[in-house]
Amino acid sequence: MSLRERYGGMTRAEQGVSLFVCGFTALLVVALLTGGLTPSYTLYLAGLTGMYVLLSLGLNAQWGYTGLINFSVAAFFGLGAYGAALVTASNSPLAIPGGVLVGLVLAVVGSAVVATAIAIPTLRLRADYLAIASLGLAEVVRQIVLNQRDWTNGSGGLRGIPDVFAGWPVLGPLPGELPGLQFAEYAVGIPGLFRIRVLGFTLGEPFWTDLLNFVAVVVFVAAVYLLLRRVHRSPWGRVLRTIRSDEELASALGKDTYAFKLQSFVLGSVVMALGGVFYAYLVAYVDPGDLEPINTFYVWIAVILGGSGSNRGAMFGGFVVVAIREGTRFASDILPARLPVDVPVLVDVYGAIVSDFGSTRLLIVGLLIVLVMRLRPEGVLPPQRELLWPSALEETDE
Amino acid sequence: MSDALTTGANREKDDPVLEVEGLRKRFGGLVATDDASFAVERGEITALIGPNGAGKSTIFNLVSGFYEPDAGTVRVDGTDVTGKQPHEIADEGLVRTFQTPRKLEGMTVREAMLVGAGDQPGESFLKLFTDAAGVAAAERANVEAAHEMLERFEIGHLATQPATDLSGGQMKLVELARAMLAEPELLLLDEPVAGVNPTLANTLSDHIARLNDDGVTVCLIEHDMEFVMNLADPVIVLDRGSVLVEGSPDAVRADDRVIDAYLGGESA
Ligand SMILES: Nc1ncnc2c1ncn2[C@@H]1O[C@H](COP(=O)(O)OP(=O)(O)O)[C@@H](O)[C@H]1O
Ligand SMILES: [Mg+2]
Repeated sequence: MSLRERYGGMTRAEQGVSLFVCGFTALLVVALLTGGLTPSYTLYLAGLTGMYVLLSLGLNAQWGYTGLINFSVAAFFGLGAYGAALVTASNSPLAIPGGVLVGLVLAVVGSAVVATAIAIPTLRLRADYLAIASLGLAEVVRQIVLNQRDWTNGSGGLRGIPDVFAGWPVLGPLPGELPGLQFAEYAVGIPGLFRIRVLGFTLGEPFWTDLLNFVAVVVFVAAVYLLLRRVHRSPWGRVLRTIRSDEELASALGKDTYAFKLQSFVLGSVVMALGGVFYAYLVAYVDPGDLEPINTFYVWIAVILGGSGSNRGAMFGGFVVVAIREGTRFASDILPARLPVDVPVLVDVYGAIVSDFGSTRLLIVGLLIVLVMRLRPEGVLPPQRELLWPSALEETDE
Repeated sequence: MSDALTTGANREKDDPVLEVEGLRKRFGGLVATDDASFAVERGEITALIGPNGAGKSTIFNLVSGFYEPDAGTVRVDGTDVTGKQPHEIADEGLVRTFQTPRKLEGMTVREAMLVGAGDQPGESFLKLFTDAAGVAAAERANVEAAHEMLERFEIGHLATQPATDLSGGQMKLVELARAMLAEPELLLLDEPVAGVNPTLANTLSDHIARLNDDGVTVCLIEHDMEFVMNLADPVIVLDRGSVLVEGSPDAVRADDRVIDAYLGGESA
């Protein structure tokens, strides 16, 4: 299929999303070429996006598939991040050699155990109990991390987390062996109109390391996405969707709804923990600030915005949230602190917006949510109309 | 079948699929089910009728495990299922429908149908990865069965419609068809024609009769006495949570206590 045919076969929402993602990526590439973004920061952004995509995919597997309300996304993220950090960070007393794999296993098992522990007593009760319990869990995890100082270093955080592949046979030393790539600086432009300088940086070992981290995130996100897509359109996923819509109906048809809800909750939590693991390697540093409720909130925004119940929607939502989070940070750097023109009220409003970009970010998120809910309550990329096991239709129709 | 009328339920049945004994349920001060006992004979269409609020739906909820009884026992096919979870009771072969049709958001009609099929290997998370071929084969067979079932109910053309776009009557048909995909021993239908126009009500009635001819035991609730008269035999009359009489439609219709119950129920 040619690209053009493919584009033509999409729904309008899909076309819009493709254009948005391509446009945004193009913008990043331009920023990269013109020196607005350093190569490392660009890779960091991409890695961060992958991390948010994992968190959104995880929440989508709970809320989007089954209708389970989980307000402790940050806690499961934290279990992953701290699970990885505790066995690898240079200032962690529990660090062990070869901790990277151990951290991954620890995060997966730990999050599965915690998810089961909180789900067992609450899932039999009305839906709101899980929501309340998860709210509590988020705070409990944060407080433990803050107060268990001899392990977690409290609010100081754990630092010196190695790269994903540090110490691995081939991939570990690879970045150091790759040649440094030098890009000479060029000046381009239209004579008389404008001139800008492009390139002019060297890609050395740190870049290759970041690139390798990024590749690891991409591989993991792709694998998680493919796995989730498979289970979502399976009979298993169909039971979850039935539970979301009408749990009584599901049980009247002989489905053990409690077992399905438990599986859905554990699956989502493990995916979130994977997001946390990658975050730890991405920024090489974790602190309890990462476990603030605001991060749970961002992930909910991503899922609702993308379209609850849609894996693609969750990925897109994760992308948008990073665009907003980092885009506003970027904007605050380049916008002038004062409005150049002197219009009385406007100057104050502008000043308030620019001086406190953290709040502005929330304002933008709020406006976006209101807009989406007004114009497209099912989200930007709602689930496809029919989800059937792909090979089941070959002999009937189509 | 005798024309006789029994006071209380007829408990002397040869091969009951469902046996309810001394069932009791109270909601606060209200006794919704008061020492109800009855049996449903295999192969028959048994109607549970009674005025509004007589406790018919409550009995279905108790029998199918949605409510926990305060006292009494429920046996399906000889197995005691009292206090079991709804899905466990469904596994015993008892499948119910609800008085208000349940919509499945975001599904097509055939997807909503497929939920009905029991024992699907694809409902095990592990088998999706360890036995993909088995999952695909079962799913293919189920899709085919769903299409056939929809054809049997003359709604094959709805298969790929969104399940939320159906009329009330079509929804009732889909529910019935889905319940049949579960291959029940006993089908409990809560007001299968409520809110449906008379023509479709007749169609539904014919379908239920045909299912029964194919060997499915049916127990249905109806508020409207006329509807069940041509369809069901025997008829069990409930009043204020317990069984008043049981008998053939004609015998029940002629009984003074039944008439009183309906008149009393309606004027209350
Ligand atoms: N979950 C419940 N909570 C409180 N009261 C209920 C509940 N379910 C039914 N009832 C009451 O029990 C009585 C019988 O109701 P129901 O079984 O629905 O009657 P029917 O189906 O015969 O019309 C009614 O008075 C109803 O209000
Ligand atoms: Mg009722």
